[in-house]
Amino acid sequence: MKGKLGKYSAISVTIFISLMLFVVPLFSAAEYSFRGSYGQGHDFTNYLWIIQQDGFLAHLLLSVELGALAGALNLILMVPTITMLHLTHQRFRPIVDLICILPLMIPVVSLAIGAEVSMPSFLQNSQYELVFFFVILALPFTYRVLDTSFGSIPLKTLVEASRSLGASWLSTILRIILPGAKGGITAALFLSFALAIGEFTITQLLHWDTFPVWTVNASQQNILGAIALSVFSFIFAVVLLGVIAFTSSSRSKKEIVVEEGA
Amino acid sequence: MIEKTAAPATKVAEGRSLFLKGDSVPIALLPFFAFVTFFLLWPISDVLIKSLKGNSGEWTLSNFEPMTHGIYLTAFQTSIELGLITAFIGAVVGAFFAFVIENYAGRKLTAVLDSISAVFANSGGVPLAFMFIASFGANSAVIRILRGMGLDLYANGFSLFSLTGVAFVYSFFQIPLMVLVFKPALKGLRKEWREASMSLGGSNWDFIRRIAVPVLFPSFFGSMLLLFAGGFSAYATARAMTVGNVPLVPLIIGTLVDGNVIANKANQGAALAVGMILVAVIAMTGYVWAQRTTSKWQAR
Amino acid sequence: MKIEKTVGSALEISGLSRSFGAVIALDQFTISIQPGELIALLGPSGCGKTTALRIVAGLEKADRGSVHINGEDLLSKPANNRDIGMVFQSYSLFPNMTVAENISYGLRVRRMKSDLIKKRVIDMLDLVELPHKINSYPHQLSGGQQQRVALARALAIEPRVLLLDEPLSALDAQVRSQIRDEIRRIQIESGTTTLFVTHDQEEAMAIADRVGVMQHGRLEQLDTPNNLYNKPATPFVASFVGITNSIPAVAESSTQVVILNQSIDIAEHSVAINAGDHVSALVRPEWVSLEKSAGVSLEKSAGESRVITKSFLGPMTRIGVDVGLKELVYAELSSKEARNYDTGDLVKVSIATDSVMVENV
Repeated sequence: MKGKLGKYSAISVTIFISLMLFVVPLFSAAEYSFRGSYGQGHDFTNYLWIIQQDGFLAHLLLSVELGALAGALNLILMVPTITMLHLTHQRFRPIVDLICILPLMIPVVSLAIGAEVSMPSFLQNSQYELVFFFVILALPFTYRVLDTSFGSIPLKTLVEASRSLGASWLSTILRIILPGAKGGITAALFLSFALAIGEFTITQLLHWDTFPVWTVNASQQNILGAIALSVFSFIFAVVLLGVIAFTSSSRSKKEIVVEEGA
Repeated sequence: MIEKTAAPATKVAEGRSLFLKGDSVPIALLPFFAFVTFFLLWPISDVLIKSLKGNSGEWTLSNFEPMTHGIYLTAFQTSIELGLITAFIGAVVGAFFAFVIENYAGRKLTAVLDSISAVFANSGGVPLAFMFIASFGANSAVIRILRGMGLDLYANGFSLFSLTGVAFVYSFFQIPLMVLVFKPALKGLRKEWREASMSLGGSNWDFIRRIAVPVLFPSFFGSMLLLFAGGFSAYATARAMTVGNVPLVPLIIGTLVDGNVIANKANQGAALAVGMILVAVIAMTGYVWAQRTTSKWQAR
Repeated sequence: MKIEKTVGSALEISGLSRSFGAVIALDQFTISIQPGELIALLGPSGCGKTTALRIVAGLEKADRGSVHINGEDLLSKPANNRDIGMVFQSYSLFPNMTVAENISYGLRVRRMKSDLIKKRVIDMLDLVELPHKINSYPHQLSGGQQQRVALARALAIEPRVLLLDEPLSALDAQVRSQIRDEIRRIQIESGTTTLFVTHDQEEAMAIADRVGVMQHGRLEQLDTPNNLYNKPATPFVASFVGITNSIPAVAESSTQVVILNQSIDIAEHSVAINAGDHVSALVRPEWVSLEKSAGVSLEKSAGESRVITKSFLGPMTRIGVDVGLKELVYAELSSKEARNYDTGDLVKVSIATDSVMVENV
């Protein structure tokens, strides 16, 4: 569209802003986190500190556990629902669509105020009540991702073909539907897990002590340690997802080529 | 002579339908609706109800009264301001980034940038706050370097723990969120439109002015609304960064819910929450409307 | 009809070549289009027809070659200054504008006066017979209607040349033939020189003055539909245009070939062959004549073939006969005649034509 000059200047500006706003803070924070005791030199002191704190492992495992539960519950709830929505109950799609936007519309803070009302009392006293809210919070993202994924396969046709060849419903689900929507299911799982692990607002407002909340509290004693942890988790997530994207994108390119050639 | 082959036998278990007919009662969807009612709709209505209840449980609008003046009003104003500023910065810079990536990045680079954007866009909260405290705190490398270059930010009154600081930090996720949400709209800008414009004698500027901008505007504006809702409602980051010195509605609600609260204070929190819901819902409705308009145009 | 007949422009394309890396998209493409003519470029995907069109439009660059309109060099001009109208395959109407605004777009960027614009828009809508849609938006129109508006939009600027890039491919079959005839009618009335790209040979043959058949970036034959059909210059043209049987045959000499025990002349432009060569003879179904064998018998005698398939095509019927070769030989008869034949009948097959085209096996 613009000439070559326009192209290069646009790219340079982008890279410059990205550097200033994204890369520099990351690096600066990383540098800070590696600073040694009393500001002397650089070492892993801060990274080790957080690990050595009482409760590090316990809280980390708790968050991981809650995250896994949230991911699983999300899938158990949504995969059959979305399958039905695409197969036989298409008329309900607008309603479900709207419902799944709600968690984005309602500020989490506001939701937290009313959260406990619907909880059966036996759950109210257990941190597992968080799992249900994590699922709700992830709903907009997981619904969108699963919906797109299911929409991209000819679900109805595949199911009809499978059934007409004599497969049972269970077989159809396991062999046809799940593999077909694999991309969306994996993404939904990761999304809800990631959200659950990092969720702070509802957790804190309901006075539970998961990893993020514990980190904030612990940081009041040693901000450096908390910073180290934050930096680490951030960079870890970025690198992990970046690598996944890099490797899986080449795969999908091949798939596309095969489809076109068919 | 061509023989007509017999129709293949349909091996379906007798008595079972080949295919589920759509029920008028969506039994299969019941778990979903039940779950959502229990954990989303009921809490929301509870917030609404609490906001309308007074000290002794009577129906009243008195909880909403403090929002019309004083600290609560200021908080709303500040929160809206924060939302607007970060939405604007995020939208403009993010749209620019989205344009550059869409037009100049190869497939692999785009995939990587997409996933990085997703991580950045969902960042926020505690780790983000700490990261910025680390990188722009008074003792950080950046500040020192800038000081060495003659630019002492802190002497000029810069503070991460002010509204400006918070807005600066919010940009970290607002911009990537814009890229994520707006890039698909850019993709929907068909190349046939540009080619048709050219063949009809239009210049690049004609195309931008008459076609690209009008077509992209709903999506741009809608995305900006989405950013606004996020900036307005964010809690975790602000909490980790400010120590009560910046009046923001989410934080006030937080303090009201935090300690042991007297009933009416809790209800005031609910009223504030309802206020937040109102603002956010208005913004998000605009967003949804914008999405519908865009998809209507780009459907054919 | 209110449109004035403009004097058409002559379009000269000479030696146009374009490669994308190792792939040769266009190879010395040369064609001379007379004022007011409708030329169809026909060929399979990848044959270069679209590339040629887009180079003329200015949307692609040529590696070599030239294009002239009425003697004026075109390639040196930017795409938005060539006075050319273009209709795309789909999705080309501006979604944020009404039909009227779409049609007037080219006029508005030329800063034409608004009352003149208004008049031109109305004339164009009359031309494509959509006056009642003047304030509709593209997403409210059917596919066929959208293409008619796209046509009106392209003609509104009174272009010297009209380019159509597979304009019917995205439409339903029924709509396709309607719009196809519309396009031809409008083109004749306006007298606009037109270049029409398609992969559908029926389309090309139905409306074009001349058709250019392309393959692998080259123009194989440029001729009237009639000549293309009856006097194909190459085996590719013979098999791409219309339907043809490919029957194994043996060359009797360099000028005659034996097909199904019949000696037939070889057409000009066939490949050079020698006596004894095994070749494929390209025989049109309407040249295959059938004679019902006297008597009914279940046993086939020499020279007899059995009818295997019979397909009713409306005015014609296609009959497939097993002559003892790997594939059936198809004959096309009027449905009236075809009533005499049923599947299972024994027939004698002969070829009724002056000459056939052959190609190497």
